[in-house]
Amino acid sequence: MSTIDLKLSRSNRIYRSSEPLQGKIVIKSPSSLSHYGIRLTINGSVNMQIRGGSAGVIESFYGVIKPITIVNKSFEIRSSGKIDSGTSEIPFSVILKQPGEESLERFYETFHGTDISIQYLVTVDISRGYLHKSLSTTMEFIVESDKADLLERSVSSEMAIFYITQDTQRHPLLPELKSGGFLVTGRISTQCSLLDPISGELTVERSAVPICSIDIHLLRVESILLGEKIVTETSLIQTTQIADGDVCRSMTLPIYVILPRLLTCPTVLAGPFSIEFKVSIVISFQSELSKLHTKSDPRTPRLWLAMETLPLELVRTKG
Amino acid sequence: MEFRPRHYSAEQEAHSLPRSRADHNPLSTPSPPSTPQSQVIVANHENNDFLDPLRGWCANVAVSNEDSPDIDYASAATSSASLSSGTVSEIPSKEWTSFKRFLMQKFPVSKMISVSSMSDVIIKSGKALDKSKKGTYSEEMNDSQKDPEDDAKVITRQEYVSQMHELKHEIMRAWHAEDRVTALKLSIKVAKLLMDTSVLQFYPTLFVLATDVMDMLGDMVWKRIRQKAECAEDGTFIGKLPENFKASDICSDAKETCNNWFCKVGSIRELVPRIYLELAILPCWRFLLDQPADNIQRLVMMTRGLADPLASTYCRLYLVHCARKLPASDKGYLVTCVNDIKILLIHLLSAKETPNIHFSGKIGLLVSLIEPTIEYIMKFIFEDASQRQAYSVFMELGLGRDRSNLSESIPCVSVVLHHLLKELPAEVISCNSVDILHLIKCSNDDSFDQCLNYRLLGFRLGESRSQLDIVISVVDEVIQVVTQYVKLDEYLKVVDAYMDIVLQNQMDNYLNTLLEGLYTRACNKEIVNDEQRILQSILLKLLYHFKDLDIIFALKHFLEILDVMYGSSRSVINMQILNMATRNDHIRDPTTIQFLFEISQSLHDDMDLANMKDDGNQQSAHLISRFIQKVDFGAEMERHLTFLVECRGAFGSINELTETLVHLSNYLATKALKDRKTLLTFVKSCIAFSEVTIPSISSQVRQLNLYLETAEVALLGGLVSHSDGLIVSAVSCLENVECTDGSRAPTDVDGILSSIRKLCSLLVMVPGNSDQVVTKIPRSILSLIHSRSWMTPRITARTFCAIILLLATLSQNKLPYHLCPTEVQNLGNDVLFFGDSSYLRELVSLSEHVLQNLLNAIEQEPSKAVRGSMALEACNCIALSFKASDDVLKVCWKLIEAAQLCLSANDKYLQSTIEYLDEQLSTSRATPAVVI
Repeated sequence: MSTIDLKLSRSNRIYRSSEPLQGKIVIKSPSSLSHYGIRLTINGSVNMQIRGGSAGVIESFYGVIKPITIVNKSFEIRSSGKIDSGTSEIPFSVILKQPGEESLERFYETFHGTDISIQYLVTVDISRGYLHKSLSTTMEFIVESDKADLLERSVSSEMAIFYITQDTQRHPLLPELKSGGFLVTGRISTQCSLLDPISGELTVERSAVPICSIDIHLLRVESILLGEKIVTETSLIQTTQIADGDVCRSMTLPIYVILPRLLTCPTVLAGPFSIEFKVSIVISFQSELSKLHTKSDPRTPRLWLAMETLPLELVRTKG
Repeated sequence: MEFRPRHYSAEQEAHSLPRSRADHNPLSTPSPPSTPQSQVIVANHENNDFLDPLRGWCANVAVSNEDSPDIDYASAATSSASLSSGTVSEIPSKEWTSFKRFLMQKFPVSKMISVSSMSDVIIKSGKALDKSKKGTYSEEMNDSQKDPEDDAKVITRQEYVSQMHELKHEIMRAWHAEDRVTALKLSIKVAKLLMDTSVLQFYPTLFVLATDVMDMLGDMVWKRIRQKAECAEDGTFIGKLPENFKASDICSDAKETCNNWFCKVGSIRELVPRIYLELAILPCWRFLLDQPADNIQRLVMMTRGLADPLASTYCRLYLVHCARKLPASDKGYLVTCVNDIKILLIHLLSAKETPNIHFSGKIGLLVSLIEPTIEYIMKFIFEDASQRQAYSVFMELGLGRDRSNLSESIPCVSVVLHHLLKELPAEVISCNSVDILHLIKCSNDDSFDQCLNYRLLGFRLGESRSQLDIVISVVDEVIQVVTQYVKLDEYLKVVDAYMDIVLQNQMDNYLNTLLEGLYTRACNKEIVNDEQRILQSILLKLLYHFKDLDIIFALKHFLEILDVMYGSSRSVINMQILNMATRNDHIRDPTTIQFLFEISQSLHDDMDLANMKDDGNQQSAHLISRFIQKVDFGAEMERHLTFLVECRGAFGSINELTETLVHLSNYLATKALKDRKTLLTFVKSCIAFSEVTIPSISSQVRQLNLYLETAEVALLGGLVSHSDGLIVSAVSCLENVECTDGSRAPTDVDGILSSIRKLCSLLVMVPGNSDQVVTKIPRSILSLIHSRSWMTPRITARTFCAIILLLATLSQNKLPYHLCPTEVQNLGNDVLFFGDSSYLRELVSLSEHVLQNLLNAIEQEPSKAVRGSMALEACNCIALSFKASDDVLKVCWKLIEAAQLCLSANDKYLQSTIEYLDEQLSTSRATPAVVI
């Protein structure tokens, strides 16, 4: 039985659109193998689907939306011929995007979200006529923004300042929280390089009710244009606790959240879809009630929670 | 047989060695010899073949001196080798290991530990007992507010520990099976265990177990990334990474892996495991950054997010441990750590109702659990810190007084302050002592006993010299503080620490105040053991300082304070006083003597008489006897004797002392005799004292020696009848030796032999009693020899020799020595029995009898070498005592033959004895002996 394998030159499989995709095709065959040509196909597309979330029943019925093709190229690596028995390695190097070439779409960075997925695949086919089953394999590779396309400006060090008190909450609070009051202040970055952690600081100035925990939620907002409507899905991708228990008042705590690699990408605001991010600072106060709802979605506003959500722009920097 | 006539004075002249003055005392430590001179001396002595034992000893010393440096160098070399093999980096890790052991030991854990449901890793084995089944424990854990879901489990400590070890092995297995994700996941679970502080007492153990796993993981990650950095992409080894590598030396692949680890660790949701895991791999920052110190600072800040005091302080402890693995950096983060702990403690101690329910009523335990972490961090801050650095740390800790706002009182927590005081360099303390005192005053909280901080300040101040005015103001303030103390215990603790300072700076008025305060608090009160100990320390300081007892006794209340002491502390002080008193040559002052006598009495009362072998007791006995020896009443000898009588009454139960008393009374008698002014009655009373005292000594051998000594003194005073009685007592002691002391050591037998010889030499000048046979005493010794089993052939033979020599001496027309006093000089046996043939016959007949026994005794000696030398000894003795007749020579040659069988022909003793015999032979031919 002959097998075919793809090996990319980089172990992390990250390539930029201006760079050639290099690697080798590894064929293992017990006997010599004649073929009608070896082809390599590159395919990149934005796939969108709608399920649940803010979409209604009808929309979800129509579920899958036509994908957007970013790139679709095919190269002949070998014309028809013969491959010797044993292990053969065929190196290749293909160009994702010729300089000056007008591509179909921007080379968005690889992204796998709930509703939106941006994926790049490389496929190799060895066609062997009608008598034999053709050999084929596919592998995903990861695309990052081209350095040339990156912002020249550095990430702004601007911070959003926040005040969280009983009065800034838009949901009902426990009576003791309302009456006792609390004040948590701090600042957090609004724009962040994907390579850097989200930074900032937070201070519990006062709180009558003991604090149970303070967490930073990283949220992802995927929006898809569906006809006239925009369907938005917000999902929690990471929670980072920065305070455990009733911390001392007036003591500055650092906010330091490393971005999860595969779950984030630069903020994209394209016409048919957009991918955005938010951070949410959630303070949970000690309450007997909270113990009854341990498994609930942390984003749900509860009586014993106070929160503040801020937008976060993620950018790819030259790093 | 006939005794050889001797001319002692002529013989002495003929045989005495030429005497010459020595330039060096041969017994003093050998100075480098001035070679030419010593050669001359050797040359001088070469011809007469005489080996000076003192010189020989010198030569030996020189040899051994040559040897010893080699040994020293060798041992030094090995020790330095063992030191150099341990690299510098191992020292902190060793320190950490011992610190961990200390933690485990300091906080032992009761058998059962309740484990909250969170720690499912630990109880997954199902061994855990259900909480409800464990009634006793559930009571403690029972908390009405507990969530019903919270099903706490109880497992034994042993199970917990073995589960942790199992986990550790599992992580290691997963790692080596390339399953690093599982290894990380399990490590996170272990780190999560550290979130549970519900069993306070167990937390240090838990910490040690968990950080062990963290360290192991950190090590494995470090090695993996380093390996990547040392290899090319295809896995071939490039070269070892230098110790001080830069981030730029690291290939991107290794950096990528390293970064991945930080990302994975960074995505842990909970704060505690996230911090612990990043700390575990903290050294790996070096692969990414040249200056990784910023991360330490960030982690310090992140730790602030842990509200639980126990979890957060132990987390800081681990942080400091891990930060030490990075190359030396600024220690600012440590200051932040300490300040954060301080704030945490202030919060904890000030809260009216404790914020966390499970701490209520356990603040003391909590602080004691936290204390080691403060201690460790503080120690590290001041490790190798210069004085300037130490001062700046002191300021940064917010403790130094800012000159701009003098009035502001900066709060500090006493337990933190305590460890700061412990570690601050002495100079910084002495320069800032006023500020520190102020701080101590301000920090009066439950975390640490305030008086212990005052105490520590005192000790630390004593370590370095400070300006007098500062010292005065500090001491002044401290005295004001302690005057308020009602408790003796607190008062003592503080005063003890400042005593040295007060004494060194001659602050006499303060000393009086302190002693006064001590007196009012200590008297009329039961003093417990701990207080005794401190009181002892204070009094010892006084004693060491003043050195002169008169000054000490003049101190206000000293004697009263001494009186409240008892037991071992009292004994220690008493011993010190005696020790000081006996440093002087004489103790003459009657009041001092009386006082020391009382002290000795109290020391004696506290001695455990059943256990005299005990070191302390022996020392006390020794000190008392030294005191008695030093007492000197000068011309008032009667009074001195009375004193000895008193002493016997007071300390009669101590053997050593009784012996001393006998020696002293003998000494007194001798002194009186020398004075010649005193009447003989005083000497008689001294001897009577000795005679009465000796029987109370338990050892027969000692009694024997003391009897002999006293007999000698009696003879010196011409008290023949006294000495006769004493000698009889001595002989009866000798007879009793066996019954009292069962198995004797060979050395003691030698001691007895020398006593017998001494007795024989005494007998030379004891005038014979016409009522009794003149050889009564020698005969009783002889009969004793035959009947005692402890007499070995060697001792027997020597005793026989001694007796033969005694008899030969007694036969002389002029004895070699006589009793001293002129009025009794004529009483020597040479005068008493001059020309008395029955006297001579008696001596000869006894000596023939002894001679026969002597030969038998020699034959019984089992050891060849000993038998040889014994034969020679006997031969010499016989040749010396008897005129050379055929009989005598026959015996002598027989002995020589016996010796020749046992010794080599080259033996010098043998050769010279033969030579001597040949000489005798020729003279005997010249003057034929008269055979009786």
